[in-house]
Amino acid sequence: MLTGSLPQGAPEAPATGQETRVTARVAELEKRLGDPTDEKNPVSYARLLEADEAGEISEAGERVLDEAVLNADFVPREHGGRLERIDTLVRVMRQVFRRDVTLGLGYGVTSFMAGVNVWTAGSAEQRERLARILLDGGKVSVAYHELAHGNDFVRNEFAAKDAPGGGYLLSGEKQVINNADRAAAWVLFSRTSQAPGSRSHSVVFAERAGLDAGSYRVLPRYDAVGVRGCHLSGLHFDDTPVPADALVGKTGMGVELALRAFQITRSAVPGMALGAADTSLRTVVSFALGRELYRKSVMDIPHARATLSGAFLDLLACDSLSVAATRAVHLLPDQTSVYAAATKYLVPKMLTETMHDLSIVLGARFYVREGEFGIFQKHIRDLPVLSLGHAGSAACQATIIPQLARLARRSWFAEDPAPGALFRLREDLPDIPFDKLTLASGRDALSATLVAAVEELPSSTPEERAVHGIALKMMDELRQLQEASLALSPENRTALASPATFALADRYAVLLAAASAIGVWQQARFGDDTFLADPSWLAAVLHRLARRLGQQPPDLPAAVDARLHEEVLRRFESRRSFDLYNTPLAG
Amino acid sequence: MPASLTGHTRESLTTWLTERIALYLKRQPSEIDAAVPLAEYGLDSVAAFGLCGDIEEDFDFVLEPTAAWDYPTVHALADHLIAEFAAAEGGAS
Ligand SMILES: Cc1cc2nc3c(=O)[nH]c(=O)nc-3n(C[C@H](O)[C@H](O)[C@H](O)COP(=O)(O)OP(=O)(O)OC[C@H]3O[C@@H](n4cnc5c(N)ncnc54)[C@H](O)[C@@H]3O)c2cc1C
Repeated sequence: MLTGSLPQGAPEAPATGQETRVTARVAELEKRLGDPTDEKNPVSYARLLEADEAGEISEAGERVLDEAVLNADFVPREHGGRLERIDTLVRVMRQVFRRDVTLGLGYGVTSFMAGVNVWTAGSAEQRERLARILLDGGKVSVAYHELAHGNDFVRNEFAAKDAPGGGYLLSGEKQVINNADRAAAWVLFSRTSQAPGSRSHSVVFAERAGLDAGSYRVLPRYDAVGVRGCHLSGLHFDDTPVPADALVGKTGMGVELALRAFQITRSAVPGMALGAADTSLRTVVSFALGRELYRKSVMDIPHARATLSGAFLDLLACDSLSVAATRAVHLLPDQTSVYAAATKYLVPKMLTETMHDLSIVLGARFYVREGEFGIFQKHIRDLPVLSLGHAGSAACQATIIPQLARLARRSWFAEDPAPGALFRLREDLPDIPFDKLTLASGRDALSATLVAAVEELPSSTPEERAVHGIALKMMDELRQLQEASLALSPENRTALASPATFALADRYAVLLAAASAIGVWQQARFGDDTFLADPSWLAAVLHRLARRLGQQPPDLPAAVDARLHEEVLRRFESRRSFDLYNTPLAG
Repeated sequence: MPASLTGHTRESLTTWLTERIALYLKRQPSEIDAAVPLAEYGLDSVAAFGLCGDIEEDFDFVLEPTAAWDYPTVHALADHLIAEFAAAEGGAS
């Protein structure tokens, strides 16, 4: 699958089928959703805030997404849907999260998460059934979680017991499950053996239609701090029969299937939610330009201005990691385990910090629930869902930790760099290789991109020299990480590892983000996007990531700040997204 | 053929595995019963991948990451390793 490391800076190939389709889809959604700042628009921020206050998911929003048949984006093309790439799905869903995290999660993402299990291991018939349900507008819940066991899902008790006449009897409870009440089907992570360990669970695809209604019930809804319109409830089953063909994949394959499906969903969801941070930046730029203090606009206060540029850089860094992780699903499926965990760990954490920084500039208005800036407090309440749901931050670090020693020994400083295609934002990719995702491989071509870059990066301009200097320090950091990982004692290779070991996983994730940004720039260098082609953004992203690692890189050339500020203003005024894609927005 | 694959017995591998797992779990080797599933002691599913990495490091032998899931006790894993090592030796000669 490796296409080798292409000469750096190959120009982007002209738009092809996939790119044409995703650009059109993103534009279509934006058009259907309309101007978010126009209060007369039923899916404007003002109306979405009202729905949130009422604890409801926006009816108008769901209608628009139904009309667009958004569910088709969760169904592979071979089954009649639009799903062909994970990175392009992220771009589509980002449009929804930009506006309303509740709609993003509540309308769709959990149906996608459920679906991945069935696309990965389901029978032809199950895939057909699921495609039909989704294309008809039905929702599907992903029911893994039990309150009693949290991230320790290998101890989950909800059971699918062998029924006397064949098939299974479902019994037990699943809690805090999105759309449990209204889903047409549930993907249930179920115990099929009493033995402890990782071969005792299986995945069951249960359709609501045809179930014995007297033997199961939906539990009361939870009231949460954020995503208040989401239908979070639970399910209680009392020996509810399901047929034998409800089993997805083989008996005992549940944990393995979950860990493989997570590689896709954990790579994808953080990049989708990036849309909410994008809107938050836009909201605060609007505030900073409009508000006058000390006879200047807030935007003229250097600290405020730097905070906004910093938020933009965070979005670019997070998007770079998200792009590498989602494209790795297609190109480096044997390596995706660590990239997905790093993305799910780092992106929510960085975006939460970005939101905090932005809230400081917004000042007291950040506490106001309505009006022009009301969407900000909603997004700041909704975004943490990203790191809570679907594996907490520490659980993601715990996925990386047992792999560190092996990566250090086998891969770092020995691996070939990732293929350039990993970073070419708009280039076609082969189909999603659901069956090639590997639980742990001990390989990492992304960090090798960082190592190779130190040799390859140009250094004629001050910006290029800044990039080169920081990349060199990042490579030193990878060397230290390698030494520390090799020296990890056995007890530091499990979830019981010391806090210092968790810090290693953190530093590794930051290095992967840096490598991704470098890769993106190398490929964009001779492309059409003049901002991405310019090394200024990369220098600033690396500078920010280096500071995150506790390094003290030298100040950047003065022109970098000006370039970033100009871009923030340009994107605000021309209604473009603050991510790698510079997407036209409705408002 | 790495020399490290030869000369192992169920007993020597049981000792190696017991000591390694005790270190993971911050327990004494005497507390680890070779017939009890590792998950009972709290070794989680992902940490089991680390064990395979360690086997790779010490024996220079690449094992499926899920080996510790499919052979969930020290005894089962020791037997599996004996069989795998023998197969590798057979294949190499
Ligand atoms: C809005 C929302 C929607 C949700 N929707 C769904 C859904 O549709 N389907 C579904 O199945 N679930 C859903 N969930 C549940 C979600 O999956 C769980 O909340 C999540 O898995 C984490 O569980 P927990 O926070 O109880 O963590 P716990 O496992 O109880 O963790 C508590 C703390 O222990 C530590 N810890 C845990 N594991 C480790 C580890 N391996 N290493 C080190 N430290 C660790 C961490 O500090 C962690 O924060 C949803 C949750 C929310 C908030």
